[in-house]
Amino acid sequence: MMTDFVVSSPPCVTIGNDILDIGSRKARRQRGDPMEMLPSASAMIGAPGQFDLPAVANPAMYCRSHFASVCGTGDENQSVKFAKGTTTLAFKFQGGVIVSVDSRSTMGAYISSGTVKKVIEINPFLLGTMAGGAADCSFWERNLGMECRLYQLRNGRRISVAAASKLLANVMSSYRGYGLSMGTMIAGWDEKGPQLYYVDDDGTRLKGKMFSVGSGSTYAYGILDTHYREDMTIEEAIDLGKRAIYHAAHRDAASGGINNLYHMTKDGFVKVHSIDVNDMHYEFADERANAMAT
Amino acid sequence: MYDSAMPPRSKPLRSGGFNKNTSSIFDPLAGQIHNSEGYGATLGKIDHGVTENPYERRFSPYDFNGGTCVAIAGSDYAVIAADTRLSSGYEILSRDMSKLHTLTDKCILGSAGCKTDVDQLRSVLDIKMKMYHHNHRKTMTTPAVAQMLGNTLYYKRFFPYYAFNVFGGIDEEGKGAVYSYDAIGSFERTPVTATGSGQAYIIPLLDNVIAHRNRLDEKRDLLKEEVVEIVKDAFISCGERDIYTGDKVEIAVITKDGIEKTYFDLKAD
Repeated sequence: MMTDFVVSSPPCVTIGNDILDIGSRKARRQRGDPMEMLPSASAMIGAPGQFDLPAVANPAMYCRSHFASVCGTGDENQSVKFAKGTTTLAFKFQGGVIVSVDSRSTMGAYISSGTVKKVIEINPFLLGTMAGGAADCSFWERNLGMECRLYQLRNGRRISVAAASKLLANVMSSYRGYGLSMGTMIAGWDEKGPQLYYVDDDGTRLKGKMFSVGSGSTYAYGILDTHYREDMTIEEAIDLGKRAIYHAAHRDAASGGINNLYHMTKDGFVKVHSIDVNDMHYEFADERANAMAT
Repeated sequence: MYDSAMPPRSKPLRSGGFNKNTSSIFDPLAGQIHNSEGYGATLGKIDHGVTENPYERRFSPYDFNGGTCVAIAGSDYAVIAADTRLSSGYEILSRDMSKLHTLTDKCILGSAGCKTDVDQLRSVLDIKMKMYHHNHRKTMTTPAVAQMLGNTLYYKRFFPYYAFNVFGGIDEEGKGAVYSYDAIGSFERTPVTATGSGQAYIIPLLDNVIAHRNRLDEKRDLLKEEVVEIVKDAFISCGERDIYTGDKVEIAVITKDGIEKTYFDLKAD
């Protein structure tokens, strides 16, 4: 015979099973925080920072199943499909940081654009990349640019890359579970030198030397891991970044278009080139033919 | 608080409930009324599982009202065109419903998708533009409106406007500016764009003829009259293959001197 243990619920409503929900938007709403109550329709036109939610019992779940910005063909069953982004990579080396991206954006199986700018120039010393939901990335990185500028005005100096990536990661944490999709790398040069952080839509924030994000990232990693060296020259690094994107675009259906490559130096970023991946194909084919001939 | 996605507790089927060993999927008598009068007595009284078994109610706020919009940027003009058919399912609700909305004398918004969301979006944009005008004593420039539209769509990220937009106008340098959007506000300035049900039929044609992609001959700047003729042809072809596109095309040409609208009839089938 089992005795029943009755646990009286505390005055603050239980948050849920996930310890990561503490401090999140869901918890604040359950606590009755007036900032987080679902806004009435009349009040919110033009007010930034307040998002309308569908009037269902569990808005997070509804959003996740109907309005999620998932990668690949994950949103085939949704009525509203959003534009997605795909292969991006960045790595640190002795000469700074190389950021190399493709430019294809897909909505389900339809290529909605072949000329998307997946590197967002937050400020002359900070670059953000875009992978996942195009709108999620561009909105929140633009928002990050605004926060960085406010920081600079309030504190009289440029924000560090660590702090900038933390600001973005905290926002992603607070919208956890709502179906946002964003895998971004924040690359910059601050007082500590070249820095590279990876920030994810579930609030992951990692500091590292090399990252690749998107559906074509596995192909890019293959090339990067094989040829990466810390002491590469700038030309070698640019060539590596270019090749990695080419191979990802070649094999991944959801990547392609134009390779945009940036180099972050101590004096700010430089846009190195914008080359069509198709042209690179013929360039590398010629190279292979020449190498075989000699 | 119950989870809205869970079905209500099921009642046992009349034929006998959960406890039988036979699976009700293969049970030929499942749902039927048993009585001693034989097979004929069940006719007209067969329950097809609808009233007895649980079914899920879903909150489905969107309808798709069809249509196609196109926008093309030129060196000193922008052409924006949309068909005028409003449909719901297989029914045509109107043959003369405009998808274009003039925001300033230099820019026009074209939207396909769910008409109620499009109307609401237009109202919200008009209010924001009026407020900008009151605050800054000038009209918004085309790139500014483009950014505002992107933000307005994203503020409804968790309950989107089901509106697929194209936005065209003249920028501050006098050049044509066209922007394409997805449903939640990701946007990009492009030379050519199309959206709506006929997007996949029109865009490859425009990519080749106007944006000059995958062509070997030399690119030349097209005049706005030539672009209007190409747009008419594009809509004729689109109307042949897409049920939601047809009736009429409303074509607006925006130049620094203003906006000119013309109408072109399509097949009404």
